[in-house]
Amino acid sequence: MLMPLFQAMNDWGASTAIRESIWIYPITQAVHLLFLATLIGGLLVVDLRLLGAGLTDQPVSKVARDARKWVVVGLLGLVVTGIPQLMSNAMREYSSDFFWMKMWVLPVAIVFTFTVRHWVTMSERASEGGTGKLVGLLSIALWSGVAIPSRLIGLF
Amino acid sequence: MAELLTPLKQLFEWVDMFDSSIALRESTYTWGIILVVHLMCMSWFAGLIVMMDLRLLGVGNMQTPFSQVQRRLFPWQMGAMTLTVITGVVLVYAQPLNYYANIFFWMKMIGMAIAGVNALAFHYISYETISQWDAGVMPPFGARLAGFLGVVLWAGIVMCGRLLPYNWFK
Repeated sequence: MLMPLFQAMNDWGASTAIRESIWIYPITQAVHLLFLATLIGGLLVVDLRLLGAGLTDQPVSKVARDARKWVVVGLLGLVVTGIPQLMSNAMREYSSDFFWMKMWVLPVAIVFTFTVRHWVTMSERASEGGTGKLVGLLSIALWSGVAIPSRLIGLF
Repeated sequence: MAELLTPLKQLFEWVDMFDSSIALRESTYTWGIILVVHLMCMSWFAGLIVMMDLRLLGVGNMQTPFSQVQRRLFPWQMGAMTLTVITGVVLVYAQPLNYYANIFFWMKMIGMAIAGVNALAFHYISYETISQWDAGVMPPFGARLAGFLGVVLWAGIVMCGRLLPYNWFK
């Protein structure tokens, strides 16, 4: 159903230009990783805190509030650098199971992070108890579920 | 210069001949799995370093005293780094001559050495005055420089890692 869209994306002038350039795609991939580090850092300080580790001298809500900016910066940067990669590689990604796995888990991870996890971090009672630990673990699992297939797209 | 590097090259050539090295590089899944673990651990390490360096730069996480940020995150940074290094060594072990000839590999190695020097210099110089700038104030220039260099160096190291397969300069 989405095949015509992916085929069209593949054939855009911009997509072809990226594909034919020696450096655009590799550099975009590399910068994608820098934003990934920012996202992971912003997520992890909060997830570790929810699990009772890391910045334990601070309340969860404070750690979460401080980190939020970097989660958003990381995510936006990943989308901006992700789109050129998708455009120039549309047909290969279309036929990759790992790409679709990533695309299914990613929206779930985003919604979870900005709803359930956000509410739990803002509630002292929820964040310090079992709920907090569960949410921390789920967050790590979901975002790992995005990161791992991403790397596997090009490999298998 | 080339003669000085001969023992190093011979080491890489020797490992390249090991049965286990060959088996790893010809494996269907094992090398790929080790690479994925390397990247997961790298993202944890780099992510926590970024969080700490943002605090050192006076840009982020300013509500928490720096000494707390450093002390609390350090075990996780070191744990993640250890696993990243172990998996990295295994990856190089699988294809030593491939990496020996790759400029991005050497840039990574040198970059990590410089990053280590940066961390040590910060610890023994700027950190000595930590009680003066731990909370509520902008860290001094030396600390901010260490934070800036940290981000730039690790960003460069991560980018070189991503560029390894492209081997533009032989």
